[in-house]
Amino acid sequence: MKKVISLIICGVLILGLVGCGEEKPSIKVYNAGEYIDTSLISDFERENDCRVIYETFDSNESMYTKVMSGEKYDVIIPSDYMIERLIKEGFLQEIDKTQISNYEKLIPGILSKDFDPENKYAVPYFWGSVGILYDKTVVSEEDINAGWEILKNPKYKDDIYMYDSERDSFMIALKALGYSLNTDDKSELDKAYEWLVEQNEIMNPVYVGDEVIDNMISGNKSIAIVYSGDAAYIMSENENLEYFEPEEGTNIWVDGMVVTKDCADVELSHKFIDFMLDAENAFKNSEAVGYTSSVQEVFEEVRDTIYNDNSAYVPRQGGAKDEYFRYQDAETKKYCAELWTKVKSQ
Amino acid sequence: MKKLAKLSKGLYVALCFAFFYIPIFVTMLFSFNSSKSLTKFTGFSLKWYIELIENSEIMSAVWVSVSVAVLATAISTVLGTITAIGLSKNRKLIREWITNINNIPIMNPEIVTAIGLMLLFSAMKIEKGYLTMLLAHISFCTPYVITSVYPKVRSLDPSIANAAMDLGATPWQALTKVVVPMIKPGIIAGVLLAFTMSFDDFVISYFVSGNGVMNISIIVYNMTKRTNPTINALSTIVILVIFIAVLVVNIIPLLKRKRAVANEKSN
Amino acid sequence: MKYFKNLVKPYVLWSSVMIIIPLFVMLLYAVTNSGNSLVNIQFTFENFKRFAEPVYLNVFVKSLKLGIITVAICLVVGYTLAYIIAQFKERTQTVLILLVTIPMWINMLLRTYAWISILSDNGIINTFLEKLGLSPISMMYTDFAVMIGQICDFLPYMIIPIHTSLSKMDKSYTEAAYDLGANPVQTFFKVTFKLSIPGVLNGVIMVFLLSISTFVIPKLLGGGQYVLMGNLIENQFISVGDWNFGSAISILLASIILLAIRWMKKIDTGENSQK
Repeated sequence: MKKVISLIICGVLILGLVGCGEEKPSIKVYNAGEYIDTSLISDFERENDCRVIYETFDSNESMYTKVMSGEKYDVIIPSDYMIERLIKEGFLQEIDKTQISNYEKLIPGILSKDFDPENKYAVPYFWGSVGILYDKTVVSEEDINAGWEILKNPKYKDDIYMYDSERDSFMIALKALGYSLNTDDKSELDKAYEWLVEQNEIMNPVYVGDEVIDNMISGNKSIAIVYSGDAAYIMSENENLEYFEPEEGTNIWVDGMVVTKDCADVELSHKFIDFMLDAENAFKNSEAVGYTSSVQEVFEEVRDTIYNDNSAYVPRQGGAKDEYFRYQDAETKKYCAELWTKVKSQ
Repeated sequence: MKKLAKLSKGLYVALCFAFFYIPIFVTMLFSFNSSKSLTKFTGFSLKWYIELIENSEIMSAVWVSVSVAVLATAISTVLGTITAIGLSKNRKLIREWITNINNIPIMNPEIVTAIGLMLLFSAMKIEKGYLTMLLAHISFCTPYVITSVYPKVRSLDPSIANAAMDLGATPWQALTKVVVPMIKPGIIAGVLLAFTMSFDDFVISYFVSGNGVMNISIIVYNMTKRTNPTINALSTIVILVIFIAVLVVNIIPLLKRKRAVANEKSN
Repeated sequence: MKYFKNLVKPYVLWSSVMIIIPLFVMLLYAVTNSGNSLVNIQFTFENFKRFAEPVYLNVFVKSLKLGIITVAICLVVGYTLAYIIAQFKERTQTVLILLVTIPMWINMLLRTYAWISILSDNGIINTFLEKLGLSPISMMYTDFAVMIGQICDFLPYMIIPIHTSLSKMDKSYTEAAYDLGANPVQTFFKVTFKLSIPGVLNGVIMVFLLSISTFVIPKLLGGGQYVLMGNLIENQFISVGDWNFGSAISILLASIILLAIRWMKKIDTGENSQK
């Protein structure tokens, strides 16, 4: 008996050591959940004989918290405003565009945005908007045209999924009230907070993350706040649904791939970024997750084939009231985080 | 009347067990489903098992769970057992002091223990990953080993080890040949407890792990957001392994006893 | 004897590093503000004061309420089951108790995950109701779902200690009560239940401890708006990044539980001294 046990332990120890000992070049990639065709990761590993340590986060905020706590990553894929924060706080290094052979193929319209005006640090990954996904058979045309206020229409009580993310929720409230989504005016934020609390009380919404995808596919509720890409995918699986971007304006976003300052393998990281932009891979990726590709030819191809007639695949461009998120100063960020905790804890 | 009482009792027991086992049964059933649905059974297939085996992320999580559980159990059993033995030989004050400290992780909510360890590792600048997970597991398993071994040590005749040494045994021999065999039931209970605690753990692993090192609980937590019958397949395997292990652990003593009885009879 | 005395030393060292120091680090975080360096440290009670805001107190009350209800249901259901099991033949008892223990061995996350597909709006229960011609009920993301998940996961922790104390009980006590003319109800409350109190308390402490601090079950079955103490702590550490406030809540949670356990242990000893 004893011998058996000690044999097992020795075996585990040896295997453990062997497991650690395999020395392949590796990079650590940190991306949002459900945001990649995972087969691409193994393709990349095979092509470059390396290992990708792939981790996912729920929200930009939790990504930031983890990076702040000292965790090291090589490539991160956050949203615009978070990229701006990371740039300002010196977490990123400049992209060497000579190593990104596919750089020229990017859609010009999503480059040079305010968060990274000279495109020094970020390479667009996907882009899109935030909107309302609704069931055409349940929600009337008139109701949905009310825009964000539909989220407070008692007719749809218990029938709403909100997004469990601080900035997106505040964006909705601020836009519904006619403010800028980048406001740092505390009285406006307080009003948005009250809007959210009131909505919570009237509508009893459920705050979810990626759970929304399957729940909407099976039609569990009739209204959900979603990103355009998720909407495109969900609509391709459930044809009763339609995507709507309210007139009051919404958030248009670009998520970008960035390389961290203390990246251990800069070359491989650039290869990874370039790999994701390769037309064939970008096509696979966009098809699998439903998000709008940042590569011009892929965007057009997917738009005309797989997600043909899918309004969510082509986010609104040039809407007068639409805005990109911008960097929030530390005080505003803390203020919002606290208010958001309170909204959820009601 | 009596029959009715008996029937209602039986019904109650059945209902309770249904409550425990229906979720388990449902999970297992839908792991064999041919479609992705977790509510409509469309036909038998093993495709989720194939996907499970091909999913290197899940397989490495299984490996992390098993290896951490084995190592943590082994180390905490040794540490816990020698502490329990040493404890009985110390002054009352020290004894109480150590038992009180030992009770902290048992009586503290898991999330508090988890955060304490996370803060410790980040203060000591230890990179989160396999090592931190293992250390954390040893740290919360050892108290359970001590609590299950210590009562056995206390019920031991204190002069036994002395007697062995008077007869010429070295302290090491007295320990391994005399003391340990006598407290074996306590050690075994400790091993089982430590292994389950470690294998089952989510909260502590979730906070102290990093660098892509995930155990089964963490990966399931990350995957629950989408419908994914691969989790059902994983679940089914875990359930079957545990079921068999528990049965074996419980049946072996029974068989041994039977054999002993039979031997006695034949003698 | 001096040989074995030193055997505790490794653990003394280990436990100071892995048990005591983390608590001190947490305390340090709880009484300081972010942005403090060790050089000019400033102590504050702000983090604890923040918890006194109505919203957070509400979370605390909600957790407490849910914890107490879970304990109460587990106690009634678990006691009944343990009591019935204790009346079976010894061999049947072993098997039944084994069946109660097996779910405890299976990963809690896997068990909670199983409930999602049963309770969801298009889940098994609703499909079943539909077939019977009844209208579906929305169960996911409600108190009901969280409660079911908690009870299913924690009930064994109640049953086992109660069964242990019931099966240890000497039958002659109840027989004596009957002989003295007590009816079954009296016998149960005056004798059986009283004698099983140590087991009950162990079960109550265990279930209370688990249910008041959980964050996984409410998150998976209750949705993001279902915030309990555990979720509040997790939020502070994982998404908000306010480790100071998070540490303060953790310390409060630990102290509350410690006090509750003290109080329950007191009941136990009080009962004993009465006899």
